[in-house]
Amino acid sequence: MKKPLPLFARAFVDSWRSTLGWAAGLAATILIYLPLFPSIGASPEMQRVMEAFPPEMIKALNYDQITSGPGYTQATMFGLIGFLLMTIASVSWGAAAVGGDEESGQLELTLAHGVTRTQVVLERALAILLRVLLLVALVFVLILLLTDSAQLNIRPENLFGASVLFAGLTMLSGSTALFAGAVTGRKTYGLAAGAGVGVLGYVFNAVGRQSTDVDWLLDFSPYSWAYGNNPVANGADWAAAGWLWGISAALVALSALALSRRDVGTS
Amino acid sequence: MPPDAGNISRQAIVVDSLTKKFGHREVLHAISFGIERGSVFGVIGPNGAGKTTVMRCLLDIIRPTAGTSTVLGEDPRAAGPALRRRIGYLPGELFLEGRITGRKLLSHYADISGPVRPGRIDALAERLGLDLDRHTRKLSKGNKQKLGLVQAFMHDPELLVLDEPTSGLDPLVQQEFLAMVREAQGNGQTIFLSSHVLSEVQQAADEVAILRDGSIITVATVDSLREGAVRHVRFTATGISTADAGALLARVPGIGHLEVLPTGDGVELSATLGGAIQPLLQVLASLRLTELVLEEPDLEESVLELYGTIRGNGSGNGVTSNGRRRRKGHGA
Repeated sequence: MKKPLPLFARAFVDSWRSTLGWAAGLAATILIYLPLFPSIGASPEMQRVMEAFPPEMIKALNYDQITSGPGYTQATMFGLIGFLLMTIASVSWGAAAVGGDEESGQLELTLAHGVTRTQVVLERALAILLRVLLLVALVFVLILLLTDSAQLNIRPENLFGASVLFAGLTMLSGSTALFAGAVTGRKTYGLAAGAGVGVLGYVFNAVGRQSTDVDWLLDFSPYSWAYGNNPVANGADWAAAGWLWGISAALVALSALALSRRDVGTS
Repeated sequence: MPPDAGNISRQAIVVDSLTKKFGHREVLHAISFGIERGSVFGVIGPNGAGKTTVMRCLLDIIRPTAGTSTVLGEDPRAAGPALRRRIGYLPGELFLEGRITGRKLLSHYADISGPVRPGRIDALAERLGLDLDRHTRKLSKGNKQKLGLVQAFMHDPELLVLDEPTSGLDPLVQQEFLAMVREAQGNGQTIFLSSHVLSEVQQAADEVAILRDGSIITVATVDSLREGAVRHVRFTATGISTADAGALLARVPGIGHLEVLPTGDGVELSATLGGAIQPLLQVLASLRLTELVLEEPDLEESVLELYGTIRGNGSGNGVTSNGRRRRKGHGA
């Protein structure tokens, strides 16, 4: 009686504490930030404060729409705190899945059993995907529940679209970390690559929004692909979602290929 | 021992001209050996000799640069998971860090290896004195090693590949491990194990390959190593001069490292004996001995001499293992 997907099950079950921790962190920030909207984002004082800020800074922080409920949710939750938390979680899972496991010496023993390397990569990627989807589903549900009480005025279909982009953006960093770990066998490279995609995407977006001279930077920013048109307010750009999810899937496939073609435990 | 194609079915492992390079550094130089099904085969060598690399190649954890290997009749590179289910593997350095109990970890490995008989895990754990309900990362090195052994043995694989299996185990558990190896052999399983010291292998193995710097120096049965092994002889005798005693002993075949010292009215003599005992006894019978020590053969030392022979470019004698005291000159 073999259990189906044993590597997936182990990766998922072993990390339930960590998943729960991230869920608690995300829930706490949503429950703290969003109910403040009526007294911060929507207040006339905020309007005046925003006018006092340099416009470059407003653009860099994506605060230009912050006085509307969807804009506030987009800028604070999806664009900043949620993005930060989910990117860190996804990158740490991605880097640990192959690179970290190999570096700690445990991958060797797993591979000495009746599994293929492709199976190891795919099942562990699936475990990351499921955790990301669970956390994003939590974010979606909590925001939906707060919409009325916090006067956010968000349309559910737009929130759904933004959540799909949010999950895709997170998976892109995570699968980059997985890929770098699978190529090098080192956790650190995975962390650096995954964090690099997240941070550069954010920076390119912040700089690219400053003027039309540098807006070509936006083309290289996954963050801008996902959030460029303010999806919580305006609905998802589904082509961008396709790119985010498509590249993530390709990186997982390349990770499997890379791990299958090299020696393990020698780096 | 080049493998013979007709023998492959009787052999659990056939390695032919296996070569491995890491970058420009060649760590295995076209080694060849074969392991009979149902036998216990040991590979010994100093750290860095290439033992772990050979084993990892057999498990397809790393891929050889050149040469072939056949494991249970299959090419490990092509046979995939189905072959590895028939093998139990203990890595040389075992890392178990998860926040997971030994029992859960073993159940996970059981899910990805061959079928494990009910009760088998508990029976093995009890034999080795391992508590399965503790978190693995809190286990001592020895207990982690036990967990690794249970993991390798639990599905009764046709072939066991054990890299330094006794490392970290206390002597009682080592004995239990040896008993497990003999039982496995009794069941027709093949065991391939490694060590950096011969003493850990000699009790278990039928045959031993000696690996140094990526080459096999020799493959020999433990019995033949024992025959070729060096014994230490020490005695004191009265009524004979140092010169006479030296000359007498030098005629015995296989005598080396001869040292003769005068004592009150006789000599104190020490030497090594690399051959048969009988000729020595005949010489000793003509002496008035007051004391005689003829030690058990020291396989360790004979193997070290073997390493030394290769390292010293083959003068064959005149090599002493470190730590042996040498007195003045040779008496002969």
